[in-house]
Amino acid sequence: MAPRSADAWARVLAALRASPAAFVARAGAEGLAAELLSELRSERQSEPTKGSLLSVIMEFPTQLWPDPTAAEAAVSALLDTLALLPPRPAALRRPLLLAATSVLAACGALAPASAATSRLLPVLLRAASGRATGQEQRALQATACECLRELESCRPGLLAGQLGLLRALQDSRATQAHCLLFVITLRNALRALAQVGPGAPAGLHGLLVARTDRPQGGEIQAWDWSLEAPGAQWPGLWDWTLAGEDIWDPAVPLGQEGDWAEPGPAPLDLPPPEARELRAAVSQLLDLSYLLTPPAQAQMLQQLSQVLRAVRGQPPALLKPQLVRLLGTARVSLLHAVLAAKDTFGEALFTAQDEALLLRRLVGAAQHPALPSPARLFYLHCLLHFPENWPLGPAGEEGTPVLLTPSLATGLLPSLLQDPPDLLARLHLLCLLCGEELSADGSRDCQGTEDRALGYLQRLLASLRQGAAQPGAPRSSVTLCFRASYLATRCLASHPGALAQLTKGLAELYQARPCLAPHFVDLLEQAREVLAEPLGKALQQVAVAGAGGAQALQWHLQILTKVAGAQPLGPTLGFLWAALGQGGDWAWEQALLGTCRALLRGTELSGAGPRDLANLLQELARGLDDPDSRDRGRLYYSLFTHLSGPKLGSALGPTRSTPMLGSSLVEENEGFASALTVQEAQAPLQLRRVSRQAKEPPVILGLTVEASETLYSLELRFRILGPYYEPLKAVQVPCLRPGASPKLLLLPLEPRRPYPALLDISVLYATPSGLTCYAQLPSLPIAFADLFLPLPPSSPQVTHPQTFHELWASCLPGGAESCMWGPWWGQALETLVTKHWEPFVMSATPPTSYQVAIRLPPSSQLLLQLEAAGEDGVRVALRTDDWAILPLAGEYLRGLGATL
Amino acid sequence: MAQRAIWLVSHEPGTPRGGTVRFSRRYPTVEKRAKTFNGSSYVPVPEDDPFCKALLFELRLLDDDKDFVESRDSCSRISKASVYGLPTAGKELWPVVAIQKNGLVYVSVPLVEQTLSTRPPLISISGISQAFDLLFGLIDFFDSGPKTEADLSTKVSQLPDLLLYICPFGTLLGTNFLLDNFSNLSINRAPKQPAWKAGTYKGKAHVAVSITEKVKSMQYDKRDVADMWQVYGTITCKCDLEGVMPNVTVSLNLPTNGSPLQDILVHPCVTSLDSAVLTSSSVDMMDDSAFSGPYKFPFTPPLESFHLCYYTSQVPVPPILGFYQLKEEDSQLKISVHLKLHESVKNCFEYCEAHIPFYNRGPITHLEYKVSFGQVEVLREKSLLIWIIGQKFPKSLEINLSGAVNFNTMSHQKQPVDTICIGGTTYVKLYFRIPDYTLTGCYADQHSVQVFASGKPKITTCRELISSDYYIWNSKAPAPVAYRSLFL
Repeated sequence: MAPRSADAWARVLAALRASPAAFVARAGAEGLAAELLSELRSERQSEPTKGSLLSVIMEFPTQLWPDPTAAEAAVSALLDTLALLPPRPAALRRPLLLAATSVLAACGALAPASAATSRLLPVLLRAASGRATGQEQRALQATACECLRELESCRPGLLAGQLGLLRALQDSRATQAHCLLFVITLRNALRALAQVGPGAPAGLHGLLVARTDRPQGGEIQAWDWSLEAPGAQWPGLWDWTLAGEDIWDPAVPLGQEGDWAEPGPAPLDLPPPEARELRAAVSQLLDLSYLLTPPAQAQMLQQLSQVLRAVRGQPPALLKPQLVRLLGTARVSLLHAVLAAKDTFGEALFTAQDEALLLRRLVGAAQHPALPSPARLFYLHCLLHFPENWPLGPAGEEGTPVLLTPSLATGLLPSLLQDPPDLLARLHLLCLLCGEELSADGSRDCQGTEDRALGYLQRLLASLRQGAAQPGAPRSSVTLCFRASYLATRCLASHPGALAQLTKGLAELYQARPCLAPHFVDLLEQAREVLAEPLGKALQQVAVAGAGGAQALQWHLQILTKVAGAQPLGPTLGFLWAALGQGGDWAWEQALLGTCRALLRGTELSGAGPRDLANLLQELARGLDDPDSRDRGRLYYSLFTHLSGPKLGSALGPTRSTPMLGSSLVEENEGFASALTVQEAQAPLQLRRVSRQAKEPPVILGLTVEASETLYSLELRFRILGPYYEPLKAVQVPCLRPGASPKLLLLPLEPRRPYPALLDISVLYATPSGLTCYAQLPSLPIAFADLFLPLPPSSPQVTHPQTFHELWASCLPGGAESCMWGPWWGQALETLVTKHWEPFVMSATPPTSYQVAIRLPPSSQLLLQLEAAGEDGVRVALRTDDWAILPLAGEYLRGLGATL
Repeated sequence: MAQRAIWLVSHEPGTPRGGTVRFSRRYPTVEKRAKTFNGSSYVPVPEDDPFCKALLFELRLLDDDKDFVESRDSCSRISKASVYGLPTAGKELWPVVAIQKNGLVYVSVPLVEQTLSTRPPLISISGISQAFDLLFGLIDFFDSGPKTEADLSTKVSQLPDLLLYICPFGTLLGTNFLLDNFSNLSINRAPKQPAWKAGTYKGKAHVAVSITEKVKSMQYDKRDVADMWQVYGTITCKCDLEGVMPNVTVSLNLPTNGSPLQDILVHPCVTSLDSAVLTSSSVDMMDDSAFSGPYKFPFTPPLESFHLCYYTSQVPVPPILGFYQLKEEDSQLKISVHLKLHESVKNCFEYCEAHIPFYNRGPITHLEYKVSFGQVEVLREKSLLIWIIGQKFPKSLEINLSGAVNFNTMSHQKQPVDTICIGGTTYVKLYFRIPDYTLTGCYADQHSVQVFASGKPKITTCRELISSDYYIWNSKAPAPVAYRSLFL
């Protein structure tokens, strides 16, 4: 392929960004990736073009190199390109390092055995620890630190062996990049030590002091632009013993950021000198924290909190001076970090007074008009999840902290003029406060406050409804009104008066704008019963009164469909009769039928309702204009008059939207056709084998069956695959209930030949809702040993040894014989015989000699003579009168040998 | 504590797609961690196009919000703190932090370092506040300077390079996108130089401190509803000082009858705060014992202009007291507005206007009016009267406007609907600015800036009062109440 121009590359990269998966599939990942890498070395391309190629490599490495081996080769190629750069400042050095790190970490190529890893790490470490003088060198150094930090994040513990070096660098350089790198490495190393436990190769001290000689021994290497270290310069530095397999398993939180209240593993016990050293390192970092940018301060504070928490007996008071400083700032991340520290250490760091101050600062910030709205909303959210020292409510749920009194929250009241998110968040807070106030003992003192709060809430809701009732009001103000009503039902649940007012207001809103019916349906769906019941009733009244004239009919039908079953049938039927007289198009008829369908499902089959409904359906089947609609009406009529209630309910399934297909019948069919016929299902049944030893034919296969749901009229059908068995009869079980003792089934097997086989099982059953279901159950194997029967006692006079010898002799010449060696020593033979052949033993001289005769229906026998030969195992001689079972017997015996 | 991806989406109303992705950046190493942390609840970051579509839909920025859509409009779907869930390929991507500003949507998806099968509270996700810091930084960057399409494109083209410094692997290293020479960012020139200070200043020493106070008000002229007003201020500083870490202390002073500053939030460069400053809060009842300054802020300044602190205050009276009466008589509206400047307020405005809008009524067809002072401008199509009061109130400090307005109710349908101003509910909104004045009395002067650095700097200070959401509601109709005294 001819090399592309810069413009051509710009187009290619734009197409790749727009849809990476499709583009890579089209262009081929391999070719594109190779082209990208070779263009980076091309002299024809300008630096900006190469920069944009590298940014694509940084963003889409997993698409370009889906496989780790290829990714590793790519990293090597990038490092080769880096090595080829001229020894002077070049803008490409930083992006090359970033790209190599991204590819290595994102594509899963970061591993001890990876050559690219062992090449990149020294390059980065060398760049991070060099003595940088110029601006470009400092930038490169910071980038190298960031690359190392990212690798450490992706593979915690990776740099634990370099902790000493990193500490020395943080000491001498004191840049943000070095500080952050040291903190995350320290945190991860402590976690790794805690995980490894006392068997760790080197304690914290060992890690902190190891290899500090290099950078501290005066000035280390002067800057070398080549960056590529001669291989021997960092020999054997890479100790992967503490590195995790990828990031740590999130299922076992280790005090990871974000786990909030989860305690990590048991804290690490450090000897006093090590603990002192750790404290010194932490205080040094905290002293530097002012010099970091706010997001970096937040990260460092959080990671240092984790460091202190990971070690037993480390007082968090070290953090206090910084917290006082951060408490006053307006930055979201800093206040968030303070809250995280509060959550981590609780009373150990924040006394009751501190807690009160923090809460007041948070309240102040949540209502501060000078802050941007998203920040205020975040603070409000933090208030509802405030990490209290002694929380009263359930953990993890929204609630108002004990200290947040109504008077403290006066500045956080909702107002109509606020943006919808602000209004809703504050309304939520008001509801929570109201909920608490109202559910309190209701002493006379707070009666006034209570009434005022309720009154305020109601006025606000009324104003929102008024806004939503405006003709042409935007959907946003309508959703705002409904969301506010939904939130308010939380605190109005215990206030029937207020709830009645809300219901009345909403009904009036519906009367004014029936086109909001979908919102009402949604509200009925979401709101708790306490609102849904009275509101459904009120809406039904408005709907059957026919507010809004003919245009509103479709909306009324939606409401009536929703409340069908929950509200009385009579008014709805009256309305439908009236509507039927008006006539309309196909869609109108379908909507009408949709409501009938909902009524069919929800109708109680008592009183006059069913008769009226049947009359209506008959009228629909006769009177509708569209033949399709008439058919559907007729179908409903037939279903209604022929099916029992539960069956009808499940046949008509959940309410559907108006059918969009050409014929409503086609769509209907999808719903109920399957409900009326047998449905294939996943059986809620479990079959288990139980051992059952028959004394005489037939061979009995024992099964137990258990159900996880109630099932009726089960018919279990068995089929043995292959021609070697007589067919089995089906077994009927009238009823199975969960929790009842398992039902035992005994299947008589009648083999035509004594061969193993597979039992295929299916089941037909009825569910409590009236559906008939069919299910295929997992097949069960019938093993060779399942067919074993003892020989019939021929006559009492003949002793067993004699019989055995006769039998033994009678097998030949018609049958077959064989010899085997069994790997059983000592007591094993006796155990084996007891376990498997007890009923079949004809004579024995325990523990060394046994004679076993097995009958295999219909007419074969298998004879075994087992002789223990000391340390050499057991000699097994076997004879059978049926040569065809010899391989089966051999396989069976080998199987026994394997299990011991 | 990292971001999985960042987007900048421009909202283009009226176009077929409603908007375009101007910029996007993905962080594959963070994505890899997300996959491990989120486990089976992991939802991959979608491609730009489907993402843009889902975002604009969720934010209601597409034109098709005629129909009720449950995934967007359901009453139980209440997004918190600008954090949304976006449906993508059958699953929901969460948390998506999205902030709208000036036709742009700034979006980031922070990493959640746990499983998402039940959504954890936002407070437990450390990446959330980092996302806010990042997006606020981006907003500052795009909001500064001119806002033409060309400027926007230039800034967008600078973003990839900026992010290589500020957020190379999805973990935020700084928030300042505004530096002229960003390549200096977070790389210290000398030991113990702050990472947020890119270099050192060379030149004449100069410190500028400006105080901007804004006043909000809701006035009802009703016996049972209390009027509300609130003052809040921002102190902005620009310090051109030589040296690596020059120390500066700014002290804000109040006159004897001044109103104490409360809810003080400072810039992170402030090194320490007096406990009296930290504890002074608007939730407390005001009394004479309240701390009334001087408010000292010691800090090491960054190179750029920055907001040293924000505060609020409770002043005893609103600067302008107003009464508004609107009555519907026959087919016209009779209006009467009365404004009174408080005697303690400096009567020297840069501008002062009263806007009298009429909602849900159609364009103005006829107007008769009488004013005791100033002029009236009529914007007929916008149904708006502007009463231009000018630079000064008359000696009596009281002015009146009365009049009668008629509307063309027939063309009412074409105008946008207001859902608050229904019927008689309406307001007069005041716009004014008084230079060299603060309502709290708060000031900074030559003596209030101490600089511990070589050379005596030139110190300039200024202050101003600006109105913000200053409403006077029609007293003859219900008005939205903003209580501040509900529980007291």
